[in-house]
Amino acid sequence: MLEESQYSARNFYSYSATALTAGLAVVLWFSEEIIFGAVALAISIVSLLSSRYLTRQVEKAAEQKRHLDQQLIQSQKLAAIGELSSGIAHEINNPLAIIGQETEWIKHLLKESSLQPPESDEELRGSLQEIVRQVDRCREITHKLLDFARKKDPLIQAADVNKLIEDMARLVEREASQKNIRIVRDYQKDLPRVQTDPPLLRQVVLNLLNNAAYAIGKDGAITISTQQSANNSVELIFGDTGCGISKEHMDKIFDPFFTTKPTGKGTGLGLSISHGIIAKLGGRITVASEAGKGATFTIQLPAKPPKGEQ
Amino acid sequence: MEAFRVLIVDDELDFLETIVKRLKRRKVDATGIDSGIKALELLEKEHFDVVILDVRMPGMDGIETLKEMKRKRPLLEVIMLTGHASVESGVQGMQYGAFDYVLKPADIDDLLEKIQGAYERKALHEEKVRETKVI
Repeated sequence: MLEESQYSARNFYSYSATALTAGLAVVLWFSEEIIFGAVALAISIVSLLSSRYLTRQVEKAAEQKRHLDQQLIQSQKLAAIGELSSGIAHEINNPLAIIGQETEWIKHLLKESSLQPPESDEELRGSLQEIVRQVDRCREITHKLLDFARKKDPLIQAADVNKLIEDMARLVEREASQKNIRIVRDYQKDLPRVQTDPPLLRQVVLNLLNNAAYAIGKDGAITISTQQSANNSVELIFGDTGCGISKEHMDKIFDPFFTTKPTGKGTGLGLSISHGIIAKLGGRITVASEAGKGATFTIQLPAKPPKGEQ
Repeated sequence: MEAFRVLIVDDELDFLETIVKRLKRRKVDATGIDSGIKALELLEKEHFDVVILDVRMPGMDGIETLKEMKRKRPLLEVIMLTGHASVESGVQGMQYGAFDYVLKPADIDDLLEKIQGAYERKALHEEKVRETKVI
């Protein structure tokens, strides 16, 4: 707020200076000092243009800063959620393990005690089996959660990003083509190799492609492009013609457990894990979308992860 | 190529024999086995660096086998092999720590490159573990 008022004050000064010079030009023009007038006019035009240029630069910088702030808030939020959820996951894992063990023990006791199982025994076994299944399901979630929060160092190897993406695209392509989803490639040739953690990056790419196919459902296209950007970093762009993301979902999509899939279909951890991975690799993942108009995810990956980045 | 051991797990015996033969011709120390359970047993007895694992197998499937392998030998690198993969199993495989996917029929040069990458990763990982132990 303070900065904005400073901008407008600065604008006011520069515009009033311009106006003054212009006024002077007009006065000089009419007082038959045409040369001075012309010079003053030229100065006023130049100063008008330069002040407009400066204003635009300042606005651009302000926009960039807002963007950075948003990203910082996003990553802080995710870090906090990560810490909290890994704590909960740890706490839940132990009782889960005990429930699982006890169930196995009951199954074992049942097997020993009843030589001739009555009918109700069958039902009992069925219900124990269900407990085991549900415990496994919970365990899967807690493990993913711990994965999301895990501070594991990536292992850095050289990777050809185009090839890495193409391998994952081919994995998705067959199933996608059955639903009439085309995959359009727009890889930049001779893209520089990057130092990164290839399996982790594959996980992210596959997650994004899978999401894109899910968002489309049927009939549409996924466009994958790669390009080199500043300092030999690379950009990976995944666009789809799917249902898009509504405005109110936009700042939640990287949150753990946020999902628009029906219950039991998704844990809502895919994108949050991907976000965590890309951050670990020193990159950034952003999304642009409008409901009904598809979505585009962009990953910026540095030529190599900065030292000390975990 | 540095000497390291590769285990190939696939229930399709024709495929298994061919790929072991082709890898051996390229001087890779390759061993084939036809089920996930047998593979896990073998890993108890012998040392391997990289595993190539078929996703679809009767009995213990590729994903289950991968989970067990990673639990018992976290440093082992596993490349998943798939004929008609479901994307779901692909996502799961990567989540459980697979190094990469290879589509059947596997191109031998491509496969070799991936094996090389997987081995490099294992070596890096071991080095890192050693470093942390020293400190």
